[in-house]
Order: sequence, then C-alpha cells, then structure tokens
Amino acid sequence: MMDKMDANVKKAIMLVAVIIVCMLPHILSKSIMTIVCSIMGYLIIAGALNVINGYSGQMCFGIAGFYCVGAYTMAILMNTFHVSFWIGIIPSGLFTAIIGALIAIPTLKMKGMFMAMITIGFSEVMRLIALNWTSVTGGTMGIKGLKAPMFFGLKTSGASRYYYIYLAAVMLFLLSTDRVIHSRIGRAWMAIREDDMAAKSLGISLNLYKIINFMYGAFWAGIAGALLAPYKTYIDSAYFTLDEGFNILSMVIIGGQGTLAGPFIGVTVYQFLVEGLRFAGVWRYIACAVLIIAMMWLRPQGLAGNSESVLAGKKNRSRSIIKLPEVFSLDRTFGTRRLGKANIG
Amino acid sequence: MDGYLISQIVNGLCLGLIYALIALGVAVIIGIVGFATFTQGEIVMIGAYSSYYVFLWSGNNLIYGMIASFMITWIIGMILYKVCYAKFFDSPEYISLICTIGFSMLLKNLAQIFFGAEKKPMLNIIENRIYHLGIIEVSRVQIMVLVTVLIMVTILSILFTGTSWGLKLKAVSQNREAAALVGINVDKTAMIGNCIGCAIAGVAGTLIGIYYQSAYATMGATLSMKAFTSATLGGLTSVPLAALGGILIGVTENIGIAFSSASFRDIFSFGFLIIMLIFKPTGFRRKRGARA
Repeated sequence: MMDKMDANVKKAIMLVAVIIVCMLPHILSKSIMTIVCSIMGYLIIAGALNVINGYSGQMCFGIAGFYCVGAYTMAILMNTFHVSFWIGIIPSGLFTAIIGALIAIPTLKMKGMFMAMITIGFSEVMRLIALNWTSVTGGTMGIKGLKAPMFFGLKTSGASRYYYIYLAAVMLFLLSTDRVIHSRIGRAWMAIREDDMAAKSLGISLNLYKIINFMYGAFWAGIAGALLAPYKTYIDSAYFTLDEGFNILSMVIIGGQGTLAGPFIGVTVYQFLVEGLRFAGVWRYIACAVLIIAMMWLRPQGLAGNSESVLAGKKNRSRSIIKLPEVFSLDRTFGTRRLGKANIG
Repeated sequence: MDGYLISQIVNGLCLGLIYALIALGVAVIIGIVGFATFTQGEIVMIGAYSSYYVFLWSGNNLIYGMIASFMITWIIGMILYKVCYAKFFDSPEYISLICTIGFSMLLKNLAQIFFGAEKKPMLNIIENRIYHLGIIEVSRVQIMVLVTVLIMVTILSILFTGTSWGLKLKAVSQNREAAALVGINVDKTAMIGNCIGCAIAGVAGTLIGIYYQSAYATMGATLSMKAFTSATLGGLTSVPLAALGGILIGVTENIGIAFSSASFRDIFSFGFLIIMLIFKPTGFRRKRGARA
C-alpha cells in the first residue's frame, strides 16, 4: 500500500517536474533563459568529459579541442555545403568521434600527466588550426551568419526557443549515457578506472574499451559543439581556448567525476557562481579558482562523488589483493547511480 | 633569405635559452617534488611584473630587477608548495595537477585585478645596439640573455654538485623514503626544490619581459606548455636535457616561422610535444634508478 502511494507520489512529482521543465521559457525571463541555455550546453560537454575522465579514469584535459572540432564541422557544413542543421548534427558528432579515436590510439599506453599534456597539446593545435586555416575556417574572423534551424516551420532562434533543442539533446545524452554506463561497456570502464591490471586479468580488453570510451566522449563533445554553432550564430576560435577546457574540467570536478549527477551539479554551481556574482566583476573568477582548490583539499571526489572510489584520493587502495572482490562488486557505484537519478528528476 | 634565416636562427637560439631556463625549473620541480605543474607560465608572468615595478622604482637597474623577481617568485613557490603539493603526496597525481590549474587561474586573475588588463611597456631597459659578427647580427639584449642564462646555469650546477643542499635535493629526488631514513627533512627539501624551480622561472620572466618589451597578465598562457614540452626531451627530470630541449624548441619555432608565418609559432612546439610523447615518452635519458 505504502509502496503504491510512493510510486504515485513519485509519478506526480515527475509529471510536475516535466511540465515545469517544458514550460521554463514561459516562466523565466529572457536573460535567465540565456543562462539556462549555457548551462544546458555545458551540461553536454561536461557530461562528455565526465565519461572520459570520470568513468574510465583517463586524464583528458583537452576537451575544448573536441568541442572546437564539432562546432567548426557543423559551421562549415551549414555555411559552405548548405546542409540542414538536422542532417549535419550526426556527421559532426561522428567526425569528432573519429578524431577522438585518432587521439586515443597513440595514447593507449599513457597515463597521468603524459596523457594530460598530450590532450592539452591536441586541444591547442585544434584551436590554432581553426585560427590560422583562413580559407576553410575564416581565421580570426570566424564563421558568421549561421542560422538557427527551422523545426517544421517553427523558428528556433533566441534562447527561449533554442532551449527546446538543448533540452532534447540533454535528455538524449542522459538517456544514452545511462544505458551505456549500465551496460557491459560502462562496467568495463569503471573496472579499468578502479584497477586496470585487475580489469585486464579478468579479460577486459583495455585498448578496445579505452578507444570506445574516447570515441563516445568525443562524439558528445562534438554534438555539444555542433549545438553551440547555430545557437551563437557566430563562432571563432576564442570559444575554444585552453582556459575554456579547464573551466569545463573544473565543472566536472566540482560536481563529482564518475556520476551522472556530478556534471549537472558542477555546471549549475559554476555557472551560478560566474553569472550570479556578476556584480563582483572579475573577482568572481577568483571565487572559481578558490573553489577548485578548496574542492581538491576537502572533497577531491566532488560534491556528488563516491567516497569509496579511487577518485576520492585514496591512492593504491584497490591495489591490495584482499580488497579486490569488494571493488568488483561495484555496489557503491550503483549507489551513486540512484543519487544521480534522484537529482536529475 | 640567407641573412633572414640566420637572424631567425639567432632569435630562436635566444628565445630557446629563455625557454631552457623555464624548462630547467620544470625539470627541477618534477624531479624533486615529483608532481607536474601547470603554474610555471604564471610564475614567469609574476617574475616579469615584479621586475617591471622594480625597474620603475630603481631606474632600470637590471640586477635589482632580477633579484626582485627571484625573491618574489621564491615566495610564490613556497605558497604554491603549501597549497598544491604538501598535502597530496599520498593522493593520485591528478589532484595536485588540478590544484596547480586552480592556482594558475588564481594568479592570472589576481594579476589582472591588481596590475591591470593592459600591457605594461618595458622599454629601453637595455640600450638597443646591434653588433655585427660577420654575417651574424646580435643585439645587446640577446647577449644579456645569453650571459644571464649562463650565470644561472652555472650557479645551479654548483648548487647541485658542490653543496650539501644539492646532495639533499638529489637524495629526495631519488628516493623520498630513503632520504627520510637518513635524516633529511624531506618536506622542507622538497619545498626548497620547488622554490628553486619557481625562482628560475621568475628570472626567465624578467628576461622575457625585456625581450618582448612588455609584461601582461596572460603572457604565461602557453609558456608552461612549452617548458613542459622541453622537459619531456629529458624524460621530465633530466636538467641538462630539459635545457637542450628548450633551445631546440626555440630554434624549431623560429625556423618554422621563417618558412611559414608567425601565427603558426605554437603549432610547431605543440606538434613537437605530441610527436615526442607518442614516439619517445621517456625522453632520451638513460634509465637510472626507479623514478620514471
């Protein structure tokens, strides 16, 4: 009886939440919708980074490079080849995924700071190519005049209408990531993160799953970029600097790596800090920097993070043989999964 | 074209010497503390700013400027060590790495607030005169850079080979536990190593400020990456090979510029980094001891 009640109450809450989320542009003012849209955009890219850094424990610090590739692919497809947004979005993601594989293959054996450095180098090279290959990318002028797409005759330009495209993309992202994370692939990623030697000894192909991981993350990063281009109607290389990559990384870390809810919390906190403290001028960036350092001191696994994981800063914990079965039950990871669902609604 | 190419190589050598100094700092930090740093570029920026203000105050006295940048970046190095490294020796390395990212954001934005967003001109610190050695043209600034770098490297090598401090630093870089067992204060020694690495970068900041005739808050953006690139040549911890790597990158960049355009400068150094890391991630150092 009680359970049934609970289920009904849950359903009602879900329904109200869905209605609120769908009606958001009619409730909130236009300036707040701009912030909401940027949160949605960051949510996809931070989620993509979270798949790479959080779930398989690789150190990709250059997510802005994939963002850049996706956005420019979309912009070039729309501007030069006059491809519709709806047709162009999947190829942009797929192209970015191929680039992701090209980065993943040579870095399979790398770990730690080498991996971080090579992805940072990649990110800068992508930005510099976008900045200097004037005949294709417009160089310092960027690509102008991109149009927000038409949806069966409805215009989607402007934050309060484009919001629905972002909403659909975020929902798709969360659904597909949730499915992937709880499949064989996702479990393999988590096993690699917790202890790669043990994972290998259980017959998990490290190379294959790391490449899949990078390609999946890069795909969604590319989609995030492809969504950004028509929303801003103008892109240039200044959107994809290293600092932008570090901002996205800090959102993921503040929220908590390796959880679905983590990027959501991190992006929201970070964006409200940056936008909400606008009166404080440049001091708000100092607040962000202090927040990053404080998180590393107090809660390295992030706000929604799992304190039992290697991400919580306990080095070599899972290296001891006695604790191996406990790691592989991965019960606690499912604990965070429930938290994730509750938070996302 | 010939004269142009030669002057580009001379410019590259000079810039490479400055990169070598920064890379030396990175190699010392990674060797002794054991963590990578993303803050090196911002330390260079702080060094440039501190010498800028001392130049204003002292009427372009080069020695005062260098001492000021050395001392201030030494103090920043102490803070950096306390904030980013001291607590995290038993944690995965990405934690301290992200801490250094946060610290570099902090320094960059504080510099923008306190020193202003515009470029500070550092004109005529040294009288600009050009000497001709046959076909090669060398400016006075370039000679000053060469002399400073040579002096710094000599002091460092004396410090590392001839003093008890150097012995302690070496012991800590080889094995922390064993060093603690023979009675070395590991924490303090690692902090000194970090401070040395930072202070060298501070002096390099003065040199870069004089070379480019300006100091600004975002000047360190790509420098820490370039320094890291140079250090990979020596497997991250070898000091002489890191210096060689810095010179190589400076020359590669400027030769690359001679054949294409100046906007491609960074592509050459990052391309060099990626190729180097993919094909020879351990660098050209012969393996000795356990620390990789």
